Amino acid sequence: MAFTKPIIIGLEIHTELNTKTKLFCGCATQGNDEPNTRTCEVCLGHPGSKPVVNKKAIDFALKLASALNCSISDEIIFSRKQYFYPDMAKNYQITQYEIPLGKNGNLKLNDRSIGITRVHLEEDPASLVHTKGIASSKYVLVDYNRSGNPLAEIVTEPEIHSAKQAREFMKKLITILEYLKIFVPGQNIIKADANISIRESGYVRTEIKNITGFREIKKALEYEIERQKHILDQGKKLSQETRSWNAEKQITELLRKKETEKDYGYIIDPDLVQIEISKKQKKEIKKQLPELPDEKFDKYVKKYKIAEDDAKVISSELSLAQLFETAAEKIDPKLASRWIRRELIRVLNYNDISIDEFMFNQKEFLNILDLLEKNKITEKTAKRLLEKLVEKDFDVKEYVEKNNLLVISDSNLIKDYCKKAIEENPDVVEDYKSENKRSINFLVGQVMKMSKGKADAKEVKEILEKLI
Amino acid sequence: MDIKNYVKKARSGKIDLIKNTKNIISECEKINKEYNYFNVISKDSAIKKAEELYKKDSKGKLFGVPVSVKDCICVKDVESRAGSKILSGYNPVFDATVVDKVKKEGGIILGKTSQDEFGFGSFNVNVGVDFKIPKNPVDKERTCGGSSGGAAGITKKLEYPHAALAESTGGSIAAPASYCGVIGLCPTYGRVSRYGLMDYANSLDKIGVISRNIDDCALVLEVISGYDNKDSTSLNVPDYKYSRIEQDEKKLKIGIIKESLLEGVDKEVKKSILRLVGKLKSKEIEVKEVSLPLVFKYGIQTYYLISMAEASTNLAKFCGMRYGYEEKIQGNFNDYFSKIRTKSFSREAKRRIILGTFARMAGYRDAYYLKAMKVRTLMIEEYKKLFSEFDLLISPTMPNFAPRLDEIDKLSPLENYMMDIMTVGPNLCGFPHISVPYGSKHNMPIGVMFTADHLEEKKLIEIGKIVEKIG
Repeated sequence: MAFTKPIIIGLEIHTELNTKTKLFCGCATQGNDEPNTRTCEVCLGHPGSKPVVNKKAIDFALKLASALNCSISDEIIFSRKQYFYPDMAKNYQITQYEIPLGKNGNLKLNDRSIGITRVHLEEDPASLVHTKGIASSKYVLVDYNRSGNPLAEIVTEPEIHSAKQAREFMKKLITILEYLKIFVPGQNIIKADANISIRESGYVRTEIKNITGFREIKKALEYEIERQKHILDQGKKLSQETRSWNAEKQITELLRKKETEKDYGYIIDPDLVQIEISKKQKKEIKKQLPELPDEKFDKYVKKYKIAEDDAKVISSELSLAQLFETAAEKIDPKLASRWIRRELIRVLNYNDISIDEFMFNQKEFLNILDLLEKNKITEKTAKRLLEKLVEKDFDVKEYVEKNNLLVISDSNLIKDYCKKAIEENPDVVEDYKSENKRSINFLVGQVMKMSKGKADAKEVKEILEKLI
Repeated sequence: MDIKNYVKKARSGKIDLIKNTKNIISECEKINKEYNYFNVISKDSAIKKAEELYKKDSKGKLFGVPVSVKDCICVKDVESRAGSKILSGYNPVFDATVVDKVKKEGGIILGKTSQDEFGFGSFNVNVGVDFKIPKNPVDKERTCGGSSGGAAGITKKLEYPHAALAESTGGSIAAPASYCGVIGLCPTYGRVSRYGLMDYANSLDKIGVISRNIDDCALVLEVISGYDNKDSTSLNVPDYKYSRIEQDEKKLKIGIIKESLLEGVDKEVKKSILRLVGKLKSKEIEVKEVSLPLVFKYGIQTYYLISMAEASTNLAKFCGMRYGYEEKIQGNFNDYFSKIRTKSFSREAKRRIILGTFARMAGYRDAYYLKAMKVRTLMIEEYKKLFSEFDLLISPTMPNFAPRLDEIDKLSPLENYMMDIMTVGPNLCGFPHISVPYGSKHNMPIGVMFTADHLEEKKLIEIGKIVEKIG
């Protein structure tokens, strides 16, 4: 089936899980960044030390597998994957092999569902530090702070057929991780390796390693597709190889040509014992999953009756969803969704502030919407207030009163302003009368100016039309 | 004097702990020059500990008792090498759980006893590069047995109360105990924490005791056993309490393993066992012949497949980078790791790494490693059937008495491995077993081995006492 598509992509994603301690010892996963300070005999692989599995990490991985609709294994078994590398404290990695904790799952994208081959839990190796860059460093330093951090590995079926879809997949996956509260963007790292092949080459497979985040994956794959096509256009042949994504240069670079399949000599880790997962536990895990993006989307459309576009955007980010749901309790959901989706995101993007930073002002944001809904301020005032709020926290209601920003409800005053505008601009009035209906907007603008933006533009327009 | 009496006297001040410890240390040093039982004698810390104990009124069960520790068991700040050059200069940053327990009960750590490198041997001749082979305390031309050779040797030779913490993967406690004429008890897998034990084969490794008499053995076992949350394979069961053991009213029922007395077993060893069986019967203990066909047919192969596969992963961590033997790092890491490992692993370690790696490679994994795991399960069932009827199984510990070192040189690796035929069964299946000296030939001790069901160490102690009395 897959081999009828022009592009075939499969992803292998590693995501850090947001546990307090490492997968097999009590060292902290985050904190002191001084190299080799968050270490002990276990994560340094000292002889005699033994791993003890972190139950929280297992919980997190089970949640993830369950949220990705995987079938959960009856027992959790860890294996040793043995190869020599300086970032491996024991020269073997404790991972899962024969029986992954979850398999045969899927993740729904806009117009398709991508199969999940497996989800498993494993330990992170140490990080290698090339002080002068990977190419010119004469030596490499090893920092074991990361050694033993819990990672979930997610492997997809080769069912992704464009760079855009790969991006969408990653974005959606990150959203789910966030919803599950097992991953904190910016703090935990998510990386992908992508296998990609195109029809023109007869599907010669290239593996691209080390792609961080969803923005990069699209760029990396786009670059790679072009690179492969270019080689084929020149009449050359592609060879199976492993490449690495250089985010700085925005290119993929050759790591190694095809090699024989590595044999890691997996054995079951005899230092760890099997952990049974009962049917009851599996049910419980499923039951305790929070509402996920797809469910929220359905709820927003059906229950709150907001536009699908808005629902999609809001449900795809946990913070937006939470903000929306709080707002919808007090304010018309349609108004709230429109404002979150359009105005809030616009202002945040303009100021380059993340939604999480803004969350502190949530209450005041809701106050703005509240005033707006009750027609106490105009949309224009609301926008200005929001722009101000993003920069600095303040008491919206107090500010509105103090600065006299409430909508002018005195229609006599507005009528006077209207009359004045008509008197001062006879040309425009003539223009309006001679079928150029749009010229009335100029008059509306004049009135708004006089009212310092506190008049309701709609009302002003109506009055003007009547008067003229 | 047994340990209990020594502790009493030390507590009451009848023994000058400091002076006595100094004497013991110098005795150890003297013996070591001739017999090579220690890789490290921790003279200063031992005397310091004695001085500390002297100052306080300790209720420790091992108050002032000298305890030696097999080299593969970590002792904080004392060079611990598991008998290998590759761990030269490695001073652990933590105590193994068993060492911690011994220290807390007032035990004085004498030093690290010699062993086959990482436990890879039955005669303690497979010592690491630059290490010396320990010699049999009865006849220096002969082997101590292994891999806990130093532990058994010093226990026999040292004329002071003393116990040794030893370790067994496939018979490394029972074998040297048998050849040296001392008690060697290997507990149920999981009874004693492995935390701080440098792994040979994790699913088989057990820390146990080598001692001069049964009471000492039981006491030290009580101290070191117990659940440990730092070892995932540790058993969360009620603690083993020696003091609670009373002679059972119920008579023991013993199975004598038919296969253990067939060809290949030294005539004198066989006679010794049968003589003991006769005496036990005269004490109205029921002894019946039993059979363990699977264990004796496939035990050796299964044991070596599993242990080598696990060992080859355990030894991967030693590469001259983080600790232990190192040289100036030059070239790429692969060349450097290879250089260090080539230089500082002995021949037998290399053999086991290569065989073990082979057994877990794709294509062989199913045929060898995974099949061996299944056979192990079948063997446990074979034993369990017998234990539903019998309290204990009896067999020789070793098919012979301690061979001469020059004879061992002539053995092929396979002949060498076959020496473990009696001990691999209980070791593979995690059953507790004890080797007790009984009889001798030309002065060389002979060991008889009893195996009990999981967690039935008290039956081993009970029968040990009976054999001790028979003498």
